[in-house]
Amino acid sequence: MTLDATPASTHRFRRNLARQLRIWSGVVIALVFLFPIFWMVLTSFKMPKDIFTTPPTFFFQPTIDTYVEYIWRADIPRRLLNTVIVSFGSALISIVAGGMAGYALARLRIRGAGFLGTLLLLSRGVPPIALAVPMFLVARKFGLTDKHITLILAYCTFLIPYVMWLMRGFFLALPKELEESAMIDGCSRFGAFIKIIVPIAMPGILSTLIFSVILAWEELLFALVLTNRNASTVPVAMAGIAGDTVNGANWGALTAVGTLMVVPVVIFALLVQKWLVQGLADGATKG
Amino acid sequence: MSAVEIRDVQKSYGGHPVLHGVSVDIPDGEFVALVGPSGCGKSTLLRMIAGLEDITAGEIAIGGKVMNDFAPKDRDIAMVFQNYALYPHMNVADNMGFALKQRGFSREVIKERVADAARILGLESLLARKPRQLSGGQRQRVAMGRAIVRHPNVFLFDEPLSNLDAKLRVQMRSELKELHQRLGTTTVYVTHDQIEAMTLADRVVVMNAGRVEQIGAPLDLYDRPGSLFVAAFIGSPPMNFLAGTVNEQGQLQVEDGLSLAIPGGGLQPGQRLTVGVRPEHLELAETGWPATVSVVEPTGSETQIMTRLGNQVIRVLIRGRTDLKPGAVVHLGADPAHIHRFDTMTGRRL
Repeated sequence: MTLDATPASTHRFRRNLARQLRIWSGVVIALVFLFPIFWMVLTSFKMPKDIFTTPPTFFFQPTIDTYVEYIWRADIPRRLLNTVIVSFGSALISIVAGGMAGYALARLRIRGAGFLGTLLLLSRGVPPIALAVPMFLVARKFGLTDKHITLILAYCTFLIPYVMWLMRGFFLALPKELEESAMIDGCSRFGAFIKIIVPIAMPGILSTLIFSVILAWEELLFALVLTNRNASTVPVAMAGIAGDTVNGANWGALTAVGTLMVVPVVIFALLVQKWLVQGLADGATKG
Repeated sequence: MSAVEIRDVQKSYGGHPVLHGVSVDIPDGEFVALVGPSGCGKSTLLRMIAGLEDITAGEIAIGGKVMNDFAPKDRDIAMVFQNYALYPHMNVADNMGFALKQRGFSREVIKERVADAARILGLESLLARKPRQLSGGQRQRVAMGRAIVRHPNVFLFDEPLSNLDAKLRVQMRSELKELHQRLGTTTVYVTHDQIEAMTLADRVVVMNAGRVEQIGAPLDLYDRPGSLFVAAFIGSPPMNFLAGTVNEQGQLQVEDGLSLAIPGGGLQPGQRLTVGVRPEHLELAETGWPATVSVVEPTGSETQIMTRLGNQVIRVLIRGRTDLKPGAVVHLGADPAHIHRFDTMTGRRL
């Protein structure tokens, strides 16, 4: 008598097959998304003659000449510092303001809160170009062009509604009895928010912070319009390189600067990754 | 002094009234249960005592001081929520000591009080654990511990046993009662479970649709329900009801043609009347209301017999066991002293 064809073994085979399929689907999707980045990094170490070979080559004599040349020519260190300042500055301000606004929308009984929230979200539907020019005029009027704070405030206009809606979702998922309990235990509403809700929502806050930093990090239009030299960011440098087509597109420089732009964000994401653990709220309530 | 006085308290949400003037006086040290079906306003009332809901009209006083405009933290109350609301990022000891820390108690006092509460509740070995590492019953105990370390004026419980399984619920019920007897703190306990209310409370407030139906000691409510609602709500298995009209002979003419003799006078012919008898106050007799057995449910110590009296289902609860089979015809007798009469139109007791 053989047991190979029993329903249990068939079920086990199907379960294993489904698991393998899930794993390999994940691998394929990851490869599709990571390949352009891999290719960018690879190209950045190629000499111009190796960039457009047919077929494309994976093996070549690597060089850092492009990096050495463009780090200084495109003023990357200062621009990278500017990018760090404006992206983290705007993300932090947006997390504080948008987080508190999201909490208010999630918890407080405010007349018209839903409408207000929707209005703020709809503001994201306005094309940035329509805002960039008026912003430039306002900044020029106040003598604030080419300053970090101008770009930070400009970025806050699109980051705060984004943060507010994301954080609202996180706060809605937390039982309101947590802060009610804290308020009975001796906290004010704000105290309960800071001491109880913020630590519990930290994974959500950090993931929102990462997305906000990335959104600000890669922003080009406002940076192009509102900055000139002092507060200029890396995407502006990349736009400059891409626009310099006298001798054809400089792919080596573009990929080198692109790699320099990506590396800090990846390092930041890896650093905060351990804080992004989910399930911290497990055990808060019944279960 | 930590008496709780609720005076003509009303609550509306956007013009929609949910509490229509509730008044309850709870003396110092009393255990009062607010009981009623979902949506009757019992949790809203409890949250108003806690300061978590604004009071639309009326007054709530704790220890003789009107608390309407006081923040929850300034009312010196402790509350246990249905879902426990333990702080997930703190361990058991920190959860229990949080309120004391907020009130500026020294580390030594906090440690001592947490240890005391942990000993009372059997939580000593769990103090370093996070809430997610605890079972439902342990979480419930931590929630109670968090309340008792405070030595508050009033304990508020919002259906604290609802999430526990039946066995644990019975165990925790006894522990709660013992805890109250030990601490003697004024307690307001919300539940939709009338058994919980009856077994725990000194007095029970039965609420219905935002109004107080009746306030009384558990057995008073059971023995002399003031309305049809209370009669139907209190007691398990529930009271049997027969509705009809009083005929010229002073008997209850039930809608399907059956007429039954009703003890006691003072009834007018034509009057709409509902008669109620608890299942354990009915007996199988030689004579009486004729009924047909439909279901027999033995539980060991007692047996519940479902019968049909005309079109009405009547439950009978007898001690011990019976050989009756479905389809058997029996006669139901009732002790006149245990027959309750209600005005069908108003629902009030006659």
